[in-house]
Amino acid sequence: MPSKESNQPATTRAARLIFEYEGERVRLVSQQVVEMVVTGFDIARAHHAGVYVDARDAEDRTLSRVPARDAFATSTEVFPERAGEAIVRVDTARPKGAFTVVIPVPQETNKVAVVRVVPAQLDAKLPAGGTTSRVAGAAEATDLATFPLTLN
Amino acid sequence: MSTADGAVIGTTQIAGSAPRNRAFNVVLLAEGFTAAQQNDFNNACMTFVNTFRTTPPFDELSAAINVFRVNVRSTDTGADDPVAAGGTGATVRTYFDASFGGNNIRRLLICNTTTALQVAAAQVPEFIVVLLVVNSTIYGGSGGSVGTYSLAGGATEIAIHEMGHTAFGLADEYPYYAGGNETGHDHHPAGEPGEPNVTTNSNRNTLKWRWAVASTTAIPTMANPNCSQVDGRPNPVPTGTVGLFEGAHYYHCGAYRPEYDCKMRALSVPFCRICRQVIWNRIGPLATLSARARTPISVIARFPEHLDVFAVASDGRTVSNWWDQSSGWAGWFNLMGGIASPGGPGSPVTAVHRYAGHIDLFTVGTDNRVWSAWWDAATGWHSWFQIGDLVCRQGSVINVVSRYSDHIDLFTTASDGRVMSTWWDVRSGWAPWFHVQGGVAASGAPVTVVARYPFHLDLFTVGTDNRVWSCWWDERSGWHGWFQIGNLQCRPDSTVTVVSRFPDQLDLFTTAADGRIMSIWWNSRKGWANWFHVSGGVASPGSPVTAIARYSGHLDLFVIGTDNRIYSTWWHENQSWAGWFNVSGGVGMPGGQVAAISRATEHLDLFTVGSDGLVYSTWWDGATGWAGWFALGVT
Repeated sequence: MPSKESNQPATTRAARLIFEYEGERVRLVSQQVVEMVVTGFDIARAHHAGVYVDARDAEDRTLSRVPARDAFATSTEVFPERAGEAIVRVDTARPKGAFTVVIPVPQETNKVAVVRVVPAQLDAKLPAGGTTSRVAGAAEATDLATFPLTLN
Repeated sequence: MSTADGAVIGTTQIAGSAPRNRAFNVVLLAEGFTAAQQNDFNNACMTFVNTFRTTPPFDELSAAINVFRVNVRSTDTGADDPVAAGGTGATVRTYFDASFGGNNIRRLLICNTTTALQVAAAQVPEFIVVLLVVNSTIYGGSGGSVGTYSLAGGATEIAIHEMGHTAFGLADEYPYYAGGNETGHDHHPAGEPGEPNVTTNSNRNTLKWRWAVASTTAIPTMANPNCSQVDGRPNPVPTGTVGLFEGAHYYHCGAYRPEYDCKMRALSVPFCRICRQVIWNRIGPLATLSARARTPISVIARFPEHLDVFAVASDGRTVSNWWDQSSGWAGWFNLMGGIASPGGPGSPVTAVHRYAGHIDLFTVGTDNRVWSAWWDAATGWHSWFQIGDLVCRQGSVINVVSRYSDHIDLFTTASDGRVMSTWWDVRSGWAPWFHVQGGVAASGAPVTVVARYPFHLDLFTVGTDNRVWSCWWDERSGWHGWFQIGNLQCRPDSTVTVVSRFPDQLDLFTTAADGRIMSIWWNSRKGWANWFHVSGGVASPGSPVTAIARYSGHLDLFVIGTDNRIYSTWWHENQSWAGWFNVSGGVGMPGGQVAAISRATEHLDLFTVGSDGLVYSTWWDGATGWAGWFALGVT
């Protein structure tokens, strides 16, 4: 589209965070500003069960939330050497490892939180004749840890 | 056996040319390669690239994928190989401390994930996936935040499977935990998994991937007759059939996968249709959208700091993008495989928000049936379902109004032009389609609707005589017959745009047969006025007039002009109409539409398909005026 001026909106500021965990204990190992987009795929809008990282302001309001898909894994996969054999899972005695997320951090962000969300309680009954939606209860989120954001 | 046992040499981009800040960046780290063995690592990386970029759907998405290799030298070769796990007992000095024998299983190849993530972040801060390539021919690998794999044959498949978890949130589809002989995995626990490729729901009508299931495919497609063991029978349907196959997510029964086989079930097989769609929706949004040429764009603001936009891609796929003040534009993603009907400008995706945490969508599919889908803040997107069996005109528009939060009214045109309606109410569900007062619309004319009150509807369309017609419904008196508004002769495919600035006022806008932009108004005190030409404006043939009332004494209009430029004018109470002006130099598609929304009184957001086929946006703010147009993608 020819335009008298080009005005691509600025990319929202994002931060890469690296966490280490052992059991339910988690610590923030590093935080850095990163110039990259975070697509809607990685910005949690629905409240599915799982572990998430929140960016929050001074009043503890959540500004953005992204999933931490590899956090606190209690099992790991073992792969077969020959095609056709089964992939199996083995329990991890004590979850230990690291994970990373890239999260939008608007200027008012002053902390990040690692959050565990348990599923919403759904009313599975659908009205006769169809519906556009089921009625959902509220998902429950519990903070596992919070850390100050000290990006420049 | 730490970072003291080597050093990072440097980083090289080995595939892709997408801008790093909007690409799917994969980083390969060298582990157990000495300084003299770096060429071996380079070759291993190219092997990975060749496998990765020819694996569907990555083969179609390579324009948005970059691959980097990070050369790291280690003091020694390979990885630790503990005797306790059946290994040789080798202990080597390597940078990332890789070791076979995790959990006493030799094939489980682990490393110091913190070091791997930190090195990747330092070398390619924009990385999405990091994989550790271990210099050993012993077979091994593992998943998690850092995928590992060795140089043994076929180990790159591990990396791609693990990417399914790490980057795309896909579940394992295999129906066992420990190979099938375990206990406690006969029946999946209650509850629906959050991952998109497994389900406990066997109801065809609410199945989350029902958009991909043919009506002729049995549901369930394959049921396990003996839940004490894995169902080892062969596939009963042709390869690639999407259905419901019992046995998934580590359980023999009670959980289902979309296809018989998938890379999330077994290595060396393709991703299933559903997983491919998920991957597409992770990488595709990094690009701009090539839209259907004249696709009408729908936009809603569930609250002032948020926009949801809906359009149709050039291949007919229904797509969406959203903007939030805190995170910017999310990027275009496909709406559950939906394909909108072509014809005219093509069926749009119409959206309504009955309340802030809910979106309902409507479109006419390629079967010319009416389809709907919804999004809820608590549960995410729910797949398309058909509303009744009405056969619409090809390319018909579904217009929707929500008079209150538990109610929706739909209006469209049947294949023979009849004006049709249905409604949904939370208490009774969907009503059958009915013909509205015998009305028949001209070919290509949509039916527009406004609810001035929760108990009142006004409909407008262009009739087969190319005149503007209206009828109304009131809760107390029901439907009233159609009546002609003035004697204006329209284009047969003209849209009658209606705005109610306050409950007892209607303003209509449409295009005359010669393209002149015409308006008329009604109010409860004076009745209908006469049609008048708005500031001499003429629209591109087929372009509808978009009207918006930011407040009760003000109107803004937008249209594509005969020179295909995007024009606007405004009316302010007690003043005459302003002259038309070109909005920020914008040029649209011939016959295209300009979507507009005001999420705050002194703010407008516009959307259109540009002359190059991409979707563009701009905004006006009372404090700063008009911004320039920008290609709408991800920010």
